[in-house]
Amino acid sequence: MPEALLSQKNKKIIKDGLWDANPVTFQILGICSSLAVTTQLKTAMIMAFGLTFVTAMSNVVISCIRNFIPPQIRIIVQLTVVSALVITIDQILKSYMYDVSKQLSVFVGLIITNCIVMGRLEAFAMGNPPWKSFLDGLGNGLGYSSVLIILGTIREIFGSGTLLGFSVVPKAFYAAGYVNNGMLVLAPGAFFLLGCIIWIQRSLSRYVEGQ
Amino acid sequence: MKFNINSTGYVFGFAAVVCIVCGVLLSAVSEGFREKQELNFDLDIKKNILKAVVLKEPIPAQAKGPDVLKVYENKIEEVVIDKDGNVVEGIKPKDIKGKEGLFPLYIYREDEEVVSYAFPIVGQGLWSTLYGYLALEGDAVKVRGITFYKHGETPGLGAEIEKEWFQNNFKGKTIYSLEKKALTPIIVVKGKAANHAQGEALNHAVDGITAATITGNGVTEMLDRTLRLYEPYFSKVRKIS
Repeated sequence: MPEALLSQKNKKIIKDGLWDANPVTFQILGICSSLAVTTQLKTAMIMAFGLTFVTAMSNVVISCIRNFIPPQIRIIVQLTVVSALVITIDQILKSYMYDVSKQLSVFVGLIITNCIVMGRLEAFAMGNPPWKSFLDGLGNGLGYSSVLIILGTIREIFGSGTLLGFSVVPKAFYAAGYVNNGMLVLAPGAFFLLGCIIWIQRSLSRYVEGQ
Repeated sequence: MKFNINSTGYVFGFAAVVCIVCGVLLSAVSEGFREKQELNFDLDIKKNILKAVVLKEPIPAQAKGPDVLKVYENKIEEVVIDKDGNVVEGIKPKDIKGKEGLFPLYIYREDEEVVSYAFPIVGQGLWSTLYGYLALEGDAVKVRGITFYKHGETPGLGAEIEKEWFQNNFKGKTIYSLEKKALTPIIVVKGKAANHAQGEALNHAVDGITAATITGNGVTEMLDRTLRLYEPYFSKVRKIS
């Protein structure tokens, strides 16, 4: 009997990426980009979308051709597929969101070498059918996205006093001596925050580092 | 038909197919979006010219593309000058690509009076080529504004050239020494300008960027070179005997 599209097993695949084996908090992958693009929520969301799209789609493509890929050149083939997808995203951004692409172009290009994408291809898509691989890519992408969006929200509110570019801290606060926390705009602020997020997530999921 | 997935022939064949498929797809994507991207690029350049000349009524931040273009067309006149400083009639900056001895110039007018002259500056930084615009006041002596719109310098170091604080340092500096009666381009010094130059010379120096000396030198070089190219024209504008 064919498996239902969202069977228990498949749900678990998504949940793994989102929570139990979250690529950022559990596997500590993709840290570089999650620090770099989260000074503002907008860039964080676009990066999150880009990475989710690339991980899911490249998982599907690689999974479809997994039985034909010669093992000797599998990494190169994976890279080629990922690069092609990333360049497509970059082109779309350049065409429809030029200002964003000017800010993000460097990081979008770096999705190619993002450990999450390659890791999922190698660990999952090479050995699983397309639909499961798609769910796995989606789950991991969303897991990464959720961390990025949390980071982006906190950093933008407390670092710049805005959210998505709109002021959220009332003028009266500034008049009363409130100052934006400059450190949150810089990489160290993101490190501290990320550390806290990992701590909270691991306590909630009762994860224990292996001996 | 059965292939031996490990044979050399298969590996080469597979690699070739992957290359061709990806290549064709990417060409299609790039071709499909080209027109749209060129429009964006053009608009970005016009925005940068408008930013360099510091409009008297700034464009609101949320202005859409067509609004920006309208302001640009109303306020900016595009001309081409030759190396002797004469305006070449009947030719636009977009037509001079690759032609030697011709330079684009963008003139910003308010009520028929020239407020600013802007022109492109291009030069080598540390990692990359820097592209920007320099705008002079109508007197062709003082700097009105400068922008950098494309570069690949290190974020936090060389990339500071695109930040307001660096660009604001140029405003009000002079490219022409009234004492020496000669062109005196602006130099980006190492450290604070005030530690390097006093009095009149301070008008021709701006603060450098810490840990980005080579980017600063690149800016100095490109200003020097470009200003010398445009000097024949500006010396006529200046009317200083």
